[in-house]
Amino acid sequence: MHSGPSSIVLSQTGGPLYQQIMDQIKQKIAVEEWKAGDEIPSIRQLAVDLRVSVITVKRAYLELEREGLIVTQHGKGSFVATGIAVGPHLYEQKLSVHLEEAARLGTTIGMSGRELVSRLRKALDEVDDARPVSPKSLKESQ
Amino acid sequence: MNSAPTNYARTNYAMVRRLILKDWYLNRWMIIGSIPAGLASLAIVLTGKQVAFLLSIILLCMVIIGVGAQLAVVTTINERKEQTLAFIMSLPVSWREYTAAKILANLIIFLIPWLAITAGALGILLLPGATHGLIPFIAIMAVEMLVTTCLIIAAGVITESQAWLTVAILCSSLGLNILGYVFAHTRGIAPQMWGMSVHWTAASCTILLAEFLVAALILALTFFVQSRKTDFL
Amino acid sequence: MNDVCVRLEGVSKRYPHFLLDNISLDLPVGSILGFIGANGAGKSTTIRILMGLVRQDSGSVQVLGHAMPAEQTAAKLDIGYVSEDMRLYGSATLAWHMNFIASIYPQWDQSYADTLVRRFDLRPEQKIKGLSHGQRVKAALLLALGRQPRLLLLDEPTTGLDPVARREVLAELMAVLADERRTIFFSSHNTLDVEQISDRIAFIDRGRIIALEEKEDLLDRWRRVRLVVPPSAVLPQFPGIVEVGGTERLPVLITNHFDPAVVSLCQDRGATVQSIDSMTLEEIFVANVQSRRELQPA
Repeated sequence: MHSGPSSIVLSQTGGPLYQQIMDQIKQKIAVEEWKAGDEIPSIRQLAVDLRVSVITVKRAYLELEREGLIVTQHGKGSFVATGIAVGPHLYEQKLSVHLEEAARLGTTIGMSGRELVSRLRKALDEVDDARPVSPKSLKESQ
Repeated sequence: MNSAPTNYARTNYAMVRRLILKDWYLNRWMIIGSIPAGLASLAIVLTGKQVAFLLSIILLCMVIIGVGAQLAVVTTINERKEQTLAFIMSLPVSWREYTAAKILANLIIFLIPWLAITAGALGILLLPGATHGLIPFIAIMAVEMLVTTCLIIAAGVITESQAWLTVAILCSSLGLNILGYVFAHTRGIAPQMWGMSVHWTAASCTILLAEFLVAALILALTFFVQSRKTDFL
Repeated sequence: MNDVCVRLEGVSKRYPHFLLDNISLDLPVGSILGFIGANGAGKSTTIRILMGLVRQDSGSVQVLGHAMPAEQTAAKLDIGYVSEDMRLYGSATLAWHMNFIASIYPQWDQSYADTLVRRFDLRPEQKIKGLSHGQRVKAALLLALGRQPRLLLLDEPTTGLDPVARREVLAELMAVLADERRTIFFSSHNTLDVEQISDRIAFIDRGRIIALEEKEDLLDRWRRVRLVVPPSAVLPQFPGIVEVGGTERLPVLITNHFDPAVVSLCQDRGATVQSIDSMTLEEIFVANVQSRRELQPA
């Protein structure tokens, strides 16, 4: 295409567009592709590049601003906020969503709070067991 | 980039010219192709022989109406049939420019051979020794053709329907023949026709004037009807 | 600051078998509105009224500050109109059409037009009658885009295009909006496209506008809620339920006025919320139309 492939890629089946944009911008900030203080594309420019309505991009930017990840200065443009730790923040929300979901499901099948907690502990143990991944342990688990 | 303030009630002549040229360009082969037929008819007229003369007049009528009608069909009916009307109306034009352009495009293409042949025929008749008496009759018939062509163009522009246009063409040919017969036997014209002097009687003058008025009326009516249309598509 | 590019107020038009009824909508400059409706709902009629090609029976139409259809000539100097029932002259070439348009519109940008020719993979010296449907649509769009119009009125611009051509066209339309003084009004069956690029959405059904709002607001309002209702419990009533599907134990509700407080409301009644899903624009449109038609059959 004419402007080169956009660095943000949206999918039609990936859920609300503004959410996808937000997530991808957060990831860019998390891996420092977009560093603190960097200027980011204007709302209109990003809308054109992504072929998405201006309103949608605006919404994504507003939400990001509310979460303190970007700053928009009227007349100057939008920038990555300085002095934030995005890494943990990025996954913080995902964690909340998953925990709520787990709680809801647990309640639905009639689990008690304590049973849920022990299940969570078991899951944590499995995660610990899986780390670090060495060739030896891979072969063992096969 | 602001265009000059337009008086919305006035016609945009530049657009009319463009539309006319567009129609002439798109139908250039048809227009060019009619020239040999016209020239041949003119040649026959110019030979001046009496019998051939009348025959060629009839031939001429058919050629002129044929070309005029064919062009009218192509420029009006086809816009709707080929669905190009929406394209034209998406340009900065209103019904005014569209109507004016269709009328002028067809009329001018008709007028050129018509003027040539009428002038040629009248010229022949003005030569010493020719039947000068025929001049009023020929003039009347020539303007009659102008009237029928206006009618055909009007029918095409207003109705945009093949059916109505066919009716108009049939009526025109029929009308021409009938009126030709009627006029040739009118008290005010018939006696003088075969004489050697030009005789403009009251009858022939009135008829001629009436014909011009009818032509003008048809065109004015076209504009009027077009202005009343609420759906241009 | 935000001027209105297009304003329809109380516009009605009666045909023997159809009535366009009291249409009102605003389109701010610099925005893009997607117009969704079934066939025969009145989309094309509305767009023709905007172009001044059809005169409304009542109501006022303002386009780019001009009253339509009286001032259509002036308005059309700044409008690019493409409709699916519009054709170009088959016996002429694309190049001829480009010259024709260029001679009429002072803002014609030849270099931009040349770029579009390349992007749309067209050949200017080819006659229109030799083009495929998709190429014809792209040619018509090129002629509309090349004149740099302040308003693009597009009736089904992507219908009948293959997926690649559709993406190209959408990219060009969005590129137009990079200039915030330019506006787009387009109707489409392609709800995915409309959902993606529109700022505002309008639904039309049976000659009436049944929804007109910012896209994000619309998408936010509608939800599909799946519940698990134990045999003892009664289905909770919450506001704006438009449709109830599923079964008695596993109902699926569609609501057009979602409120997060609903979750606790359900749990109070003993039901559990299995999931709350957003809906696509298409699902919203269908649900909207169906619920209305149930209330007012034909």
